[in-house]
Amino acid sequence: MTRILVADDSETVLLMLQRRLEMGGYEVLTATDGQEVLDEIGACEDVPDLILLDAMMPRVSGVEALRRLREQGCEIPIVMISAHLDAQEPERMKALGADETVPKPFDWDDLIGRIEELV
Amino acid sequence: MRFNPSLTARLRIGFVVLFALLLAVSLLGVGRLFQIRVDFEDETTRYFQLELEAERLRSGFILEQAAVRPPARAARPSASELSQAADGFADAGARADELTGDDTDLATALERVIETEEAWREAVASPLLRGQTPAGRVQARLTMAVTSSVEQLASATADAREAVRGDARDDTRNTTVLVIIGLVGALLAALILFSGLINSMRAPLARLVDGARRLAGGDLETRVEVGGPVEISALGKAFNEMASELERDARERDRIERMKDDFVLTVSHELRTPVTVVKGFAEMLTAQRRSLNTRQYEAAEVIADSAGQLQKMINDLLDLARSDAGKLRIEPGPTSVRSLAQRVGRQMRPNFDEKDQKLTVSVEKDLPDVRADPDRIGQVLSNLLTNANKYAPEGARVRLTATRNGNAVEFAVSDNGPGLAGEELEHVFERFWRAQSGEAQEIGGTGLGLAIAKSLVELHGGEISAESELGSGATFRFTLPIARDGRPAKGTQKTTRKPGATKSGTTQKASR
Repeated sequence: MTRILVADDSETVLLMLQRRLEMGGYEVLTATDGQEVLDEIGACEDVPDLILLDAMMPRVSGVEALRRLREQGCEIPIVMISAHLDAQEPERMKALGADETVPKPFDWDDLIGRIEELV
Repeated sequence: MRFNPSLTARLRIGFVVLFALLLAVSLLGVGRLFQIRVDFEDETTRYFQLELEAERLRSGFILEQAAVRPPARAARPSASELSQAADGFADAGARADELTGDDTDLATALERVIETEEAWREAVASPLLRGQTPAGRVQARLTMAVTSSVEQLASATADAREAVRGDARDDTRNTTVLVIIGLVGALLAALILFSGLINSMRAPLARLVDGARRLAGGDLETRVEVGGPVEISALGKAFNEMASELERDARERDRIERMKDDFVLTVSHELRTPVTVVKGFAEMLTAQRRSLNTRQYEAAEVIADSAGQLQKMINDLLDLARSDAGKLRIEPGPTSVRSLAQRVGRQMRPNFDEKDQKLTVSVEKDLPDVRADPDRIGQVLSNLLTNANKYAPEGARVRLTATRNGNAVEFAVSDNGPGLAGEELEHVFERFWRAQSGEAQEIGGTGLGLAIAKSLVELHGGEISAESELGSGATFRFTLPIARDGRPAKGTQKTTRKPGATKSGTTQKASR
């Protein structure tokens, strides 16, 4: 079963994403900040198939987590969710190593479409 | 502080100086002319009197001659008659002496008269009285000397009188010229004074005019240099105070405006998370239709729809707030008009099918690429089509066209729905404005779609406008600049006839 790690600091958003992804047949792991994501991935062995990462989170942000994961050479597909989406943001995320960036609030069909393309 | 009299003081000083100068010149001139006249009369009178005395001297001498040589044959020279005549002569001489004054020529002439008369009396009268008869030659010479000296005195006096007349005429003329020069001088002085006054006002007034124009042009930081007479300086100071006040007001307004923008930005941002969650779960429920009963399913569907609307409204508000704060960014690039129009048409088609409406998308052949952010212009087109879809009745026809118009491509969305009245057209691009007429009020929407469309089109450097006629549909047009690095247009250019043609007369146009 495809495993997805979802990270969002809002518990309700996290729960919603988890339930919907589960309905779509994915196995879901959750994290509430970047540090938890980094702890979960560890040395990049036995990793989930995809990470859904909110860009803005307390302690270690999604952007920071993305940067560190790519720094240590982890090539797992990562989809960023960004609330402050301006025209340049997808480019910046891409430069940091994100595979996709979706705006928040997201259109579910759009999000699931992008996820399906990556796994 | 340097001497800076007020405008009224300057005017008063000017008038007083001018008046004093004119008065002085006039009084001096008139006085002088009067004096010349008086002197002339005095002198003339004196010379007339002197001439009269010369006549008396002449007649006195004749009487003297008659006394010593009576015309009657029988008569004898009379000493008493001679002495009487000589007294008359001496009286006339004495009076004449007084009248000669300090005129040496006349005094000398008079002296000669006295001397010659004395010589005549000694050499002619005295011998005759004694009965002797002096030589005829001597008699004639001495008599002649007296007569001619008297003549000379008379003629010298007459000459002097003439000279006085000439002098008086010259003096009068010179004085008149001087008075005229004086008056002209006074007027010139006044002119210089007043032009100085005007000059002292001109520069500060020009600065004020300039400042007022700059202020009117929106330069609220403008201040004028204060100067000139007290009143003008006061005006300058008042102007600067006014400008400061305006600037303060404008800054305060800007600050409040920014606070409002920040507020909207923050609020809509904070609203997005819960709306996302509500929408997500509601959609999840509607996806599990089989495990819900009809009412539960209906409720879930309503929640999902409403959350969707809320989400759209929040996104719209956020876009407008960003646009106000200058943070709405677009990423324009060469964009194919055809694929953009077709993509939006495809996305919107289900909405039209639902109302049994016919949507036609027609793009002019060989249109060049436009410089646009495809997502954002897609949003504009979809906002315009959504309006047409909502306001036009079932079975209506809606057209989306794209044509070349000079250096731009013009997009037009037209419908044959109820249209808008002229006064409504003026407001269609305002926020939260909704069509007022009858059925239109029952149609949902935020009233933000067109405001956003306008912001986005203007951000692209285009223009948006609306035209409509009540009862025969509405057309919304906007232009986008042609991309310079895009695919160039091939072949001949089609006519730029505007589709959804304007009917003459009552057609109204609103554009900004």
